Amino acid sequence: MPENLIEARDLAKRYGDKVAVNNVSFEVYGGEVFGFLGPNGAGKTTTLKMIVGLLQPTSGTVHVAGYDVQTQSRLAKAACGYVPDTPNLYAKLTGRELLRFVGDLYDLDRTQATRRAEELLRMFELANAADDTVDSYSHGMQQKTSLAAALMHDPKVLVLDEPTVGLDPKSARLIKDILRQLAERGAAVMLSTHILEIAERMCDRIGIINRGELIAVGTMDELRMLDKTGQTSLEDIFLSLTGGAEEAAIADVLK
Amino acid sequence: MNMRSNSSSMRAAHAGILSSVWKLLRLRLRITYNSFRHAKLRNKIGMIFLWLLLLGFAYSLFLLSRWLLGLVHSPEFARYAGVDLQGILATIPTVTLTALFVGTLLTSFGVLLQALYLSGDMDFLLATPIPIRAVFIAKLLQAVLPNFALFSLFGIPMLFGLGISNSYHVSYYPLVILLMIFLALAAAGLSSLLVMGVVRILPPRRAAEILGFIGAMFGFACSQIGNLASSFGRNMDFSGTRIAGLLALSNTGWLPLNWAGQGLVALGESRWLSGILLVGATLGFAAITFWFALVTAQRLYYSGWAGMQVVARKKSKRASRRAPGTATRIGLLRLLPKPVMAILQKDFLTLRRDLRSLSQLISPLIFGVIYTLLLFRGSGDPPAGRGEAPDWFTTSFRVVLTYSSVGMSLFVGWMLLSRLAGMGFSQEGKNYWMLKVSPIRVIHLMASKFLVAYLPTLGLAFVFLTVISIMQGLSILEFIYSFIAIVMCLAGMAGMLLSFGVAGANFTWDDPRKMNSGAMGCFGQILTIIYLPLSFGLFIAPLGLAQFLEFPLIYGYLAGLVLGSTFAAGFAIIPLWLVRRRVERLGTE
Repeated sequence: MPENLIEARDLAKRYGDKVAVNNVSFEVYGGEVFGFLGPNGAGKTTTLKMIVGLLQPTSGTVHVAGYDVQTQSRLAKAACGYVPDTPNLYAKLTGRELLRFVGDLYDLDRTQATRRAEELLRMFELANAADDTVDSYSHGMQQKTSLAAALMHDPKVLVLDEPTVGLDPKSARLIKDILRQLAERGAAVMLSTHILEIAERMCDRIGIINRGELIAVGTMDELRMLDKTGQTSLEDIFLSLTGGAEEAAIADVLK
Repeated sequence: MNMRSNSSSMRAAHAGILSSVWKLLRLRLRITYNSFRHAKLRNKIGMIFLWLLLLGFAYSLFLLSRWLLGLVHSPEFARYAGVDLQGILATIPTVTLTALFVGTLLTSFGVLLQALYLSGDMDFLLATPIPIRAVFIAKLLQAVLPNFALFSLFGIPMLFGLGISNSYHVSYYPLVILLMIFLALAAAGLSSLLVMGVVRILPPRRAAEILGFIGAMFGFACSQIGNLASSFGRNMDFSGTRIAGLLALSNTGWLPLNWAGQGLVALGESRWLSGILLVGATLGFAAITFWFALVTAQRLYYSGWAGMQVVARKKSKRASRRAPGTATRIGLLRLLPKPVMAILQKDFLTLRRDLRSLSQLISPLIFGVIYTLLLFRGSGDPPAGRGEAPDWFTTSFRVVLTYSSVGMSLFVGWMLLSRLAGMGFSQEGKNYWMLKVSPIRVIHLMASKFLVAYLPTLGLAFVFLTVISIMQGLSILEFIYSFIAIVMCLAGMAGMLLSFGVAGANFTWDDPRKMNSGAMGCFGQILTIIYLPLSFGLFIAPLGLAQFLEFPLIYGYLAGLVLGSTFAAGFAIIPLWLVRRRVERLGTE
């Protein structure tokens, strides 16, 4: 039985009258890549931020690697890596300095941190720019640095918000391979994405969120069975479940 | 529908330059109007009040200049002043228009750098079917308009006042405005070329940082120049004759910049030939300069040459060797937990490398140096008096006076701490998520931010204390006691300012100069200004009291240590303890 590494129970976030996330419950197991899909403003980023402890839920609980993110936040955070949608990194640190800094924040042994930083810089093809400050990096390089920082402490849980946005095909492929390897080594990977092809190919299970409600969770086969229209592609299932099918039909006419 | 949208976009492609410029300026006006419309009511009232105030100011300036310039025409005044006032008056248009040109050239640089390279809308605008030249003209106008309005506020009332008091010809007035517009446009054009040149050498963001640094330093130097001039410039000659001589010398006809002013005066005095020639030449030169600059800048931008840096990027090998977490831990710092040390090093590196932050830190240093020099230009000795004061008073007063100069170290420390501690958390900005998702303890985070603020301030205060001690001839005991007092007082101040910084933390800024923590930051500064003399006073007062009561001075030192240290330690710990829960919630939106 795989280990339950992310467990969200009745997770909700409200801003006054506005409900961003409404009683969402799901699990992500060790060894799987879990895709989190939804239209713009559906509540994906809010959910991810609650998982990594960047947002306080209005109600409900999240457990990461068995630890409650609210009451055992340090233990939960130590087990988790996070890649945000916008890579806001310390602009005046070099790539190498940034990774070592992250290593120290996670209290890694210095030799181990140095070795790990060099490995990651090489792996993400950042070694040549490792001594340049982050503000001189392109968006893609910053995205890769952000992912490298999240991997510094070899987390059991990795949460990524739109990890492939702004990446060239080679880097996007590299990230997909790394995430798959990470899952094969027993980690739980949860990622949000707009690119349905990525979700279809990479993810073992997919959760679809719409207007703050989790409307479907399961493998591709389970989602196909869930959809009454008998659609086969994830795009069709997604549009059918999130109410975008009409817009897609109009777009087809206009083609 | 498609056909209709296609034909309208084709029409846009054939639109003239002026209509496109107008379209872009309308967009800017719409944005300004929207920001006003959506502003809070009190901000709206404030803005309207400010505009009315500015208009009132311009009108007052007009009346004042007309009256003053009328006054200087009187022969009695000229005899009293003993200088050629008509000569000075004739230089006013030249000085004003030169100031407008140079001022626009310098101030437009930063605005254009922002508008052309850092605003992010250039790509969007260049991808639309609007002529690229129209985009450039609109950007130049946007850069020049605010500064032009500011110059006009001072310049037009003054020049019009001059015209009325000298009974200049009516053609003088429209030409003043026309020349101001042409000179401002020429200056903005040259400024855009300057921007293109600079970004060939430096990345735009770095150029903006350096500009911010120079601007901050220049502003600070200007603010302190009065103090220095009054103290060091006693021998300088600021007489009317000297100023008149300098103005006459600068109003030479060899400088094309002077032609505008001289031409205006000539036209005003109905010397038509020289007036038309000089004004015409200025307008022609300005128009050619603007057009040349516009075309060249536009080509440089569009061909990408202006953005192609010619200097190879120097890789900082040293930086990698001194990376956070890998630097040698010195002395007591060895005992610090790894995350604390990492944040400490990260913050020092960031502050050092970001010139805009660095400028905020250098200001207190310059301030300290200036005021220390001023302090020691006055002897610092107690007043001799008439020998009638009782002994206890003279001795107590001497003690207080000795230590009051030590207070200068604390004041310099306060300036540095206000920035370092008051904005200790805010300076993380949008990067705070990195600390937030890491498993760092709240106490470690607070300790690291405390040390980031405290250690450099202590170092600076120690240097000042040492210099002051040498110059004042303090004894070793006085030096050590002063140092302990400074160590404790600064710790209390750091605790207070850091706590207020936590309460008003702002992580949404893009420019470090805009990270201030608003009302909380101000409140913290005001309270520390009250705290500072109180806490230092508790160290010093027992010494005076011991002298007064004729007790051995050692009792005064001991009492001062106990009272002052307890008070300061309380302020170092209690405010931080009170905000510890808030630190846990910081960045959790």
